[in-house]
Amino acid sequence: MTLGEFLSERLGRILLQLTCAAAAALFLTATGTQPGVLVILFLALTLVFTAVQLSDFFRQRACIQELEAVLTGLDQKYLFAECAPPPKGLYERRLFDLTRRAGRAMVGAVSDAQAAQREYREYVERWVHEVKTPITAARLICRTIEPDTRRKLERELAQVEAHAERALFYARAESPEQDCVIRQANLESIVTQAINGHRTLLIQSGIRVEPEGLDCSVYTDEKWAVFILGQLLQNAARYRGEEPVIQITAKPLGKQIQLTVRDNGIGIPSHELPRVFDRGFTGSNGRARGGSTGMGLYLCKKLSGFLELDLQITSEEGAGTCVTLTFPARENLTKL
Amino acid sequence: MQKVMIIEDDPVIREELALLLVNENYQAAAITDFADVPAQVSHFGPDLILLDLNLPCQDGFSLCAALRKSVRAPIIFVTSRNSAVDELRALSLGGDDYVTKPYNIPVLLARIRAVLRRSGGVEEPDILEANGLTLHLAQGTASANGKSVELTRNELKILAYLMSRPSEIVSRADLIDALWDSQIYIDDNTLSVNVTRLRSKLAELGLPEFIKTRRGMGYQL
Repeated sequence: MTLGEFLSERLGRILLQLTCAAAAALFLTATGTQPGVLVILFLALTLVFTAVQLSDFFRQRACIQELEAVLTGLDQKYLFAECAPPPKGLYERRLFDLTRRAGRAMVGAVSDAQAAQREYREYVERWVHEVKTPITAARLICRTIEPDTRRKLERELAQVEAHAERALFYARAESPEQDCVIRQANLESIVTQAINGHRTLLIQSGIRVEPEGLDCSVYTDEKWAVFILGQLLQNAARYRGEEPVIQITAKPLGKQIQLTVRDNGIGIPSHELPRVFDRGFTGSNGRARGGSTGMGLYLCKKLSGFLELDLQITSEEGAGTCVTLTFPARENLTKL
Repeated sequence: MQKVMIIEDDPVIREELALLLVNENYQAAAITDFADVPAQVSHFGPDLILLDLNLPCQDGFSLCAALRKSVRAPIIFVTSRNSAVDELRALSLGGDDYVTKPYNIPVLLARIRAVLRRSGGVEEPDILEANGLTLHLAQGTASANGKSVELTRNELKILAYLMSRPSEIVSRADLIDALWDSQIYIDDNTLSVNVTRLRSKLAELGLPEFIKTRRGMGYQL
């Protein structure tokens, strides 16, 4: 709040005072008061009026600054009305009271929404864990049936599992701090887990996977990294071309580690490339083949953000897609 | 025969897992009454325990701690709970491995074999012999008729798998599955290339017909 703003707001009052002073001056002149006395009276009046306005200005400005400081210091800004000092004036107290009541209603709504979201997340997690038991049982039962049908069923079960896994990580990404633990992990072990997790799909898609130079340490959450890599492998299998190969290589980049997942699949049209990380974006390939959810890469990008992973994608239509994941150096991590 | 104890509350998984393990030449037993599990386990005297986390009466963690007091057999946790916290806790309580459901069956079997090997239960043979061919797994060589050839990792794994199942017809899909267990992630074409190379090496040893192709079915020694 500047003095200019303050005065312009009080312009009406100032004009009224001046008009009254002028009227009083006219009256006094008409009743025979000497001009010298008028000047003295006018000066005294102006002095008192200016002092009052200035003191008002400074008081209001100090009050606003105090409130600003209270707001800045708050983590949950919506709790402001609970923490601000109550004002003294009657009118301000009433306004403050209204604000506080509105604030309380919002605090209630926010905590209800948070509780509902937490419950939902917990339910999704429990559901995903529960659905894994019948999937496991079905896989064990599959073993005894004739090979062709078995492989088809195994493939469908792998799909069910992949969908359930995405639901789990979607729920986890809503409150990552509860689950994400960044620590030292072996990159080879992450890649092996991801490949094994999708081996049914990869083998049945006739894919050759060529991991190379992966024996190094990265700082990340192992499960999340396995999930991200798994999405990339699923995409490579889904959008494969002739004689599909997935090359997984790592190289150091300063103190960072850059992991490259390169396939020789059908690739992504260049005009769709900027949108592949958008939620629900399926693209022409996804629509052509069906069964695409548009969630895989979206989740990858979201989880990468928490892991401070840099995720880049390049692609050439008909030649393949290349995704690079740059794992952060230990000293650059903000939440180790 | 090695004994595996299954501690799992889902009856279907319990039965199917026991069947699977029996087929894989293990002696399997499952807990069906979850009161006083440690006594039942001690009575059975297993070489390996597969332990679920969500159990009636007592959860897997406290059961693991209780088992550790009386049983020395390695414990593999098999569970659908896949948070990092659960896994750390399981391993710190004396678990030897942690496998999450839904597992791939070959992966589970490989983990079981690995844990048994580490615990010193099985000595996997270093030398395989069949139809006049000797395979030295540690050196990565095959020898017959006084001659010897060096094999690549892929060729070695293919030959070892076939030789451990003499006269059985092994389908190409099963062979690829088995190779993926050993972190050789190859496709059908690469398998053909590897088998062709392997055959020419075996021909050098005077065994050109060692691996027979059964059209439409797979390979057979």
